[in-house]
Amino acid sequence: MAAEANNAKPTFLSPPQEGKEPIVSLRGITKRFPGVIALDHIDLDIYPGTVHALLGENGAGKSTLVKVLYGIYTPDEGEIIINGRSTRLTSPADAISTGIVMVSQSPQIIDTLTVAENIILGLEKYNHFVPVTKVYKTIREESKRVGIKIEPGIEVWRLSYTQKQLVEILRAILLGAKVLLLDEAITYLPIEEKKRFYKFIRQFADEGGTVVLITHKIYEAMDVADKITVLRRGKVAGHLDRKEATIEKIRALMFGERSAEITYERLPTAQPEPNTVLEVKDLWVMGDFGGYAVQGVSLEVKEGEVLGIAGVAGNGQKELIQAIMRLRPVIKGKIMYNGEDITRKTTYYLRINGVGYIPDLPAKYGVSIENSIIENIAVLPVYSRGIINWDKIRELTLKLIKEFEIKTPSPDTPVKFLSGGNIMKVLVARELTVATNLLVAYNPTRALDEATAIKVRKIIKDKVLKNKVSAIIASEDLDEIFQISDRIAVMNSGKIVGVFPADKAKREEIEHLMVM
Amino acid sequence: MPGSIASFIIGVSSIFLAYYLAAVGHGLMEKSGVLNLAIDGVFTLGVAVAFAISVYTFSVPLATFIAMIVAAMFGLMLAFITTKLPISHGAAGLSTMFLGYGLAALVGLPARQLQINGRSLATIQPSLGGTWVWFYVVAFAVAVGIWYLVEKTKIGAAIRAAGENPASAEALGVNVLAVRLFASGVGYALIGIGAAVFELAYTQVWSQGAGMGYGWIAFAISLSAGRHPILIIISAMIFAVLDKYRFLIAAIYNLPPDVGKMLPFVAAIAAMIIFMVTPLRRKLAPPKSLGKIYFREERSV
Ligand SMILES: Nc1ncnc2c1ncn2[C@@H]1O[C@H](COP(=O)(O)OP(=O)(O)O)[C@@H](O)[C@H]1O
Ligand SMILES: [Mg+2]
Repeated sequence: MAAEANNAKPTFLSPPQEGKEPIVSLRGITKRFPGVIALDHIDLDIYPGTVHALLGENGAGKSTLVKVLYGIYTPDEGEIIINGRSTRLTSPADAISTGIVMVSQSPQIIDTLTVAENIILGLEKYNHFVPVTKVYKTIREESKRVGIKIEPGIEVWRLSYTQKQLVEILRAILLGAKVLLLDEAITYLPIEEKKRFYKFIRQFADEGGTVVLITHKIYEAMDVADKITVLRRGKVAGHLDRKEATIEKIRALMFGERSAEITYERLPTAQPEPNTVLEVKDLWVMGDFGGYAVQGVSLEVKEGEVLGIAGVAGNGQKELIQAIMRLRPVIKGKIMYNGEDITRKTTYYLRINGVGYIPDLPAKYGVSIENSIIENIAVLPVYSRGIINWDKIRELTLKLIKEFEIKTPSPDTPVKFLSGGNIMKVLVARELTVATNLLVAYNPTRALDEATAIKVRKIIKDKVLKNKVSAIIASEDLDEIFQISDRIAVMNSGKIVGVFPADKAKREEIEHLMVM
Repeated sequence: MPGSIASFIIGVSSIFLAYYLAAVGHGLMEKSGVLNLAIDGVFTLGVAVAFAISVYTFSVPLATFIAMIVAAMFGLMLAFITTKLPISHGAAGLSTMFLGYGLAALVGLPARQLQINGRSLATIQPSLGGTWVWFYVVAFAVAVGIWYLVEKTKIGAAIRAAGENPASAEALGVNVLAVRLFASGVGYALIGIGAAVFELAYTQVWSQGAGMGYGWIAFAISLSAGRHPILIIISAMIFAVLDKYRFLIAAIYNLPPDVGKMLPFVAAIAAMIIFMVTPLRRKLAPPKSLGKIYFREERSV
């Protein structure tokens, strides 16, 4: 451990940083959660003026590390040294006042508040009783300077995901961030915004700022970062300089021997049957805040094919998927399943008729984290109508644990003690078992690292090819859409704006339609 | 006729103010995310404290002040234990409610004994010297003040942030505990003043259990108006009129007295429906994290 840190030392003395002291140093940082050591004696130096990428598979401890730096988690052991001074960070407010600001994958800004209200909360120079309008001018000026168009008085729920992330970044700038912690903050942005962001990050670092960048897109990290640190199971697996970093080296550090399985080649194209399993006709569905999120969508899925729905988050995919699963009322239009009108049927009906469902945020909406793996499987209506046959369920659970390599002490372990990736595996294993006809999924691998995500996609496609199951998969990850789909439908502002056979689809065209 | 309108406005002024202050204080506290099920107990205690201090000191301001302080302490305690510890807001609130009922008897009965033995109670007469005008002025001033505080200032934004999503609020730089202490302390101070007005200006008598149930009405007033300081004026007025004149109304329409007692609650349900079918719905929606236990290091899935 210490040896690794020492070995890595020379790479930090590359010319641009020569003579500079680290702005943030971690020494022996350890954080334990029930059943896991999320961070195990981490040593890390971060230098001013650099973009420092933090990579690692799911559950490696990346988020925990930046949450420690942002004062959300208090480490059990170890020391945080900021500008040469040992510092205790007991809250984000503490971190903000030392110039550390975090932006994470899910926007922290609050929907019911205005942009200005969200931003002023962290600005210490304003006392508690000033009117929020006092910051409007500053916000307008600063947003103009960095090229973001944002009205300070607008309520956040009216913004798109991208705009929200822009506000988060703007907020960080206005808070005078010297160290910007980006935890998958850019990962889900549309490609054009992403490029703008990376340019901004580079510029921020070149002007002397410091960025800690977490992403599971290794190429992006290699593109923009000066330094790369790979975490594995809570420990530092290695430090790399940009010049010496190759994709193979990074993957090897991240995944060990599993890195050989990583490929983004398209999975084999299915040969669908002529009959239609799912048909959606002129569907209109409301969003959470009034207004139609789905506006006249029509589509169909043939037996034994994967229809991928590409789109930037917040363009109605969630509502469409929920309407199909009968979790959201249909205002107008029809949903047909195997030739039968299910527009007024219940989720229960779908679940006992061969439909599997992988929702977004699976740990929240897909499993009950307080219950065991066995119980999370038994709860599905296919198993729990009448009397539950626990012996059979246990047998099935053990089989799935083996098949999907779910890391768990036992089938009776509460799901909340598993890592995010393993929670996801429990869900996918269960849903693929009940999806004898149709699988409905939204971002099925969003939370997973490369190796696990690819494995899940292979398993899904396998099932489609072998058992003639149909699948409709909405995803914000284009790599995923391209890898798994047989046909790709692009969704934008509640409408389907194009459908393409996946083997002929052009990435640029689809990206363009997504943000048009 | 003008005379009877005037006497009507004067007649409801004290119960209106009592309801208004308690409801607006309750709403302020709940905006910060602390579910307030203790209100009836602390209101009842506030009534007893105001009564007792008034008997002991014969000072309306002092009685009001002490009732306010006592209630504020309970607000601070509730905010502290529900934010700092993983304790159910419901359990903490209801236990505190019963504590309030018990303490109210303990505080009120000795003073009541003194009163029976001849000590008198300092009260405030709404009809005297235009006092009732001030009751309305105070209610409107508090309404505008609290509305401005909650909707327009930085701390107001922090209060709403803490009620919507305390984990996010914290990440945005809010000290959730401090903000909830503030909202609950001020909120309960208003509830305490409301209780004092109820005792010293409206009922002006005390027996064991005085004020019980009126806290819940304040709760219903706040809820029916979506915790909005301005709309609460309307709800509080409706409830004040129904409380003051329910027997009269029941008599006029020839309703059984028990139906008269139900009228305020029927009005609460009606008001809620009316507010919720209008575009006000969004502004009046309950805080998303109201009553939710907040662990700082909890996995946020
Ligand atoms: N709040 C928490 N409570 C319990 N366990 C947690 C919590 N946060 C993270 N963990 C666990 O700590 C480990 C590291 O998680 P995390 O830092 O989120 O990983 P990464 O961001 O690298 O995917 C995982 O095993 C995860 O399950
Ligand atoms: Mg993470």
